[in-house]
Amino acid sequence: MKVTGTEAAARAVERARRDRTGALVFTIGTGCCESTAPFLYEDFWPGPDAEAVGEVGGVAVYAPAYLRALYPGDDGVVIDVIDDVAESMSIETEYGRRFVLRDAAGQPVVGPARQSCEVPEAVSALRSRGPQELPAALRRARMR
Amino acid sequence: MADTKLFINGEWVAAQSGETFATFAPSTGEKIADVAKAGREDAQKAVEAARRAFDDGPWAKMSGKERAERLRKVGELINARSAEIAEIEARDGGGTIKKAMFADVPGAVGTFNTFADLAESSPDEVDRGESPFPPAKSTVRYEPFGVCSGIVPWNFPFLMAGWKIAPAIAAGNTVVLKPASFTSLSAIEMVKAVEEADIPPGVVNLVTGPGGSAGEELAQHPLVDKVAFTGSTEVGRRIMQLASGTVKKVTLELGGKSANIVCDDADLDLAAAGVLWGTFFHNGQVCESGTRALVHRAIYDEFVGLLVERAAKIVIGDNMDMNTDQGPLVAPSQVDTTERYVKLGLDEGAKLLCGGSKPTDLAAGLDPSAYYLPTIFEADNSMKIAQEEIFGPVLCVIPVDSDDEAIKIANDSIYGLGGGVWSKNVERAHTIAASMRTGTVWVNDYHMITPTQPFGGYKQSGIGRELGDYGFNEYRQIKHVWQNTATDRSGYLHFSALSGNI
Repeated sequence: MKVTGTEAAARAVERARRDRTGALVFTIGTGCCESTAPFLYEDFWPGPDAEAVGEVGGVAVYAPAYLRALYPGDDGVVIDVIDDVAESMSIETEYGRRFVLRDAAGQPVVGPARQSCEVPEAVSALRSRGPQELPAALRRARMR
Repeated sequence: MADTKLFINGEWVAAQSGETFATFAPSTGEKIADVAKAGREDAQKAVEAARRAFDDGPWAKMSGKERAERLRKVGELINARSAEIAEIEARDGGGTIKKAMFADVPGAVGTFNTFADLAESSPDEVDRGESPFPPAKSTVRYEPFGVCSGIVPWNFPFLMAGWKIAPAIAAGNTVVLKPASFTSLSAIEMVKAVEEADIPPGVVNLVTGPGGSAGEELAQHPLVDKVAFTGSTEVGRRIMQLASGTVKKVTLELGGKSANIVCDDADLDLAAAGVLWGTFFHNGQVCESGTRALVHRAIYDEFVGLLVERAAKIVIGDNMDMNTDQGPLVAPSQVDTTERYVKLGLDEGAKLLCGGSKPTDLAAGLDPSAYYLPTIFEADNSMKIAQEEIFGPVLCVIPVDSDDEAIKIANDSIYGLGGGVWSKNVERAHTIAASMRTGTVWVNDYHMITPTQPFGGYKQSGIGRELGDYGFNEYRQIKHVWQNTATDRSGYLHFSALSGNI
């Protein structure tokens, strides 16, 4: 696994370096709302099986063993930054920004053409009508 | 939205910086409100208010019965505004209005009522018996920790706010809640109910804002005694490190890559519906989503056929419409993540069975960049799409030849949050359930969580449990009071035996 960063990501790191006094470190972590994503932390211990897999803006990027095993060799993982609300504790969230992973070309990955599973007919009939009553079967259903 | 301020010490206040951030309706991209952007200083003020309320206020000294009355009042006030709150919840987070009306709002009410019951029925003191020598009596007291930080995610914002506030204050703690920035609005409505329910100032405080500043402060502030967090594993690790500075108690409910095991004797019709519900409910943006279906080979082809056929029946569209099963994801960036994994899956050789793109025929006015079709892959468990949590509508189906193989694959994950077993043989299902290294296993069902029973994870899915008496006790310190009952020095031989003639 080898990770690089875009120039924009490096500039975002530079801003964090000006605002923070501790040592900065990137860690690539996983799970729940963030999925697999890069996180920029101050004075953070990446973990017993974490190893450096690259550098962005002079800050080392660490990844745990199981992620490195999933991305053997140079998979061209790139850290970029976008203007977006983010939910993590990564430093750039303070600036209304968010580090993200991209493919080697630094471009957002485009999904494949749809192959099957027709969109339900009901979709075309949808209109925004605001909240309505629960279906009869659900009206009496309450946890208490 | 009229009030989008912070709630600190019983008052609605702007962020000290005066800054705000916008929150949007994911289905249309329309801006809904500007929300106060709390910084580090605001979080500090909230913690200090919570500290004063705990140390000097009446809340921690009240009886469980008195606290229970106020928690039940919160539930009543929420119930009285359930339709309005459900609309706010659905519009802000992109979940369906059905989810908000059937799960989020009543679930939060049930949480307040359950912890009211526990506050009332759980004794503060338990007699632990007498010691034969020296003559002594032991009592265990249950006491609140003090100030609790609660940090919650965007997928169930109202319910999760209830999961953090209700048990904390039921046990006599005070709390500072930080909602996710995508979805701050419904938590404001919950705090309004708290305010109206005669809960003293400072007992519940609300800070809306980024995790990098406000969240970090709530996890590390020396006056905080406990941090409860629901969200990503990586943020959970960060919270543990920040909390370690003053050795805070930490409970974490983190990520998952849960497995749904479909046995060859399962009711296939029911199991197919259950696997789809287990994966695609709320677009797979649920920690315990059953995103890996481990299907016995004897019924594999028939079962996969059912899955693909039924997935096409999931109604995608305006999340405010009662007919819609699947609305937008929480933000276009979440769709980008899903697309990235679909490409990774194809690159690794997974077979796309259905979905794999954004819908192309959404109704006018809906934002197509926020939607993604239910996507099913036939995959190998070693692939990235089967190991990493995508948090989007992607199901991996994996054939297995035996229950043992299914269990082995189910447990081949860094996570251990949930899981399901589908079989008509209850004994067989429970044998499999016992072997799964997860905090919850559903037998012939999925996703069902009740405020009276524990919820949490094994392995990197978390620490501790939420809900029920297990969850209540995560908010109560345990104190052993030893009372020597001797009437003279004969009951104190240990003084002289161990310390000379003192």
